[in-house]
Amino acid sequence: MKKTFLAKRNALLSSRSASWGALALTTALGVLFLRLLAPNLFWQAFAPVFRVSDALATESHSFSDRFGNAAALASLNEKLVERNASLANENAALVQKVANLSELLGASGVQSGSSGILAGVIARPPESPYDVLVVGAGENEGVALGMEAFGAADVPLGVVSSVLADVSRVTLFSAPGMTTNASVGRANVPLTLTGAGAGAMNASVARTAGVAVGDTVFVPGPGMLPIGSVVRIDSDPLSPGVTLRIKPAFNLFSTAWVELRATGAVSTVFATSTP
Amino acid sequence: MIRSFGTLFALLSAIFFPWPFTACFALGMALYEPLVPLTVGLFSDTLYYTSHGAQMPFFTLAGAFVTAAAFFVRNRLKTGIIEG
Repeated sequence: MKKTFLAKRNALLSSRSASWGALALTTALGVLFLRLLAPNLFWQAFAPVFRVSDALATESHSFSDRFGNAAALASLNEKLVERNASLANENAALVQKVANLSELLGASGVQSGSSGILAGVIARPPESPYDVLVVGAGENEGVALGMEAFGAADVPLGVVSSVLADVSRVTLFSAPGMTTNASVGRANVPLTLTGAGAGAMNASVARTAGVAVGDTVFVPGPGMLPIGSVVRIDSDPLSPGVTLRIKPAFNLFSTAWVELRATGAVSTVFATSTP
Repeated sequence: MIRSFGTLFALLSAIFFPWPFTACFALGMALYEPLVPLTVGLFSDTLYYTSHGAQMPFFTLAGAFVTAAAFFVRNRLKTGIIEG
């Protein structure tokens, strides 16, 4: 006679729930006891597992970060583009600086040579007195009183008015009261430049000289050296002459390097006493 | 098949995956193996619990709670008339 087996329906002790779950729970309890009873053995056994886990977590984080925040990535991309443009501009400025220095040095790259003495500008207005540059070369470098200072493209800037051991003072042609012989225009009309301060110069010429706005003003040197250009002509009907307002060839107060040379060609009169 | 691989994967996920994923997976596995949440919680606390990091073994307690709930639901289903 066939027996009917009625299994007791107990959810906790049924054969289905006691299979894999119970086996896993037993394993977990075994690991727990291992940690409690033999912690050193436990950490030694699981150290490689933790290392693999850390490596996997690092990789997964780096992978998910790539897609993490599109807005942040777009913002970062925008910042990088701006930074790239900024660096490109900076690079262009540096290239220009190198070109200016090379031109100033005659591509020789030496600090001191037969062509002149290269000196960095230590102080410029308003750090130094107006229309005065303090440069980092002095007697030790061979600077002498009366040497002429040239900027980029051989533009005359001023004259060394004071020399110390390691520094010198260059009084610019635009210093108030400083007079310099020069010429203007294609006809090389001679005139006397008078410093007007703040980088500007004035000169008086006859009304009939035919000087026009934009004419270049030269000072004697090795050839004719452009020092600036006429930007305005003030005319007084009661006077037979006109006053020329002359702007330097470039911003005298932004130059970083000057070259000092003893030309002996510029006749300059200092209105103020030199120390 | 689901029980065996699911249980093994739940234990491994406690090591290799973030805990939210492991918790969700263990919660899902409770439908097939009620002891899996308790097992995973116990295993996670065995691996990561430190007395100065937490005041109580949170994963074990949470797993025990889910396991108890799973057993309760299974028991009600098995004794009901809509047993599948």
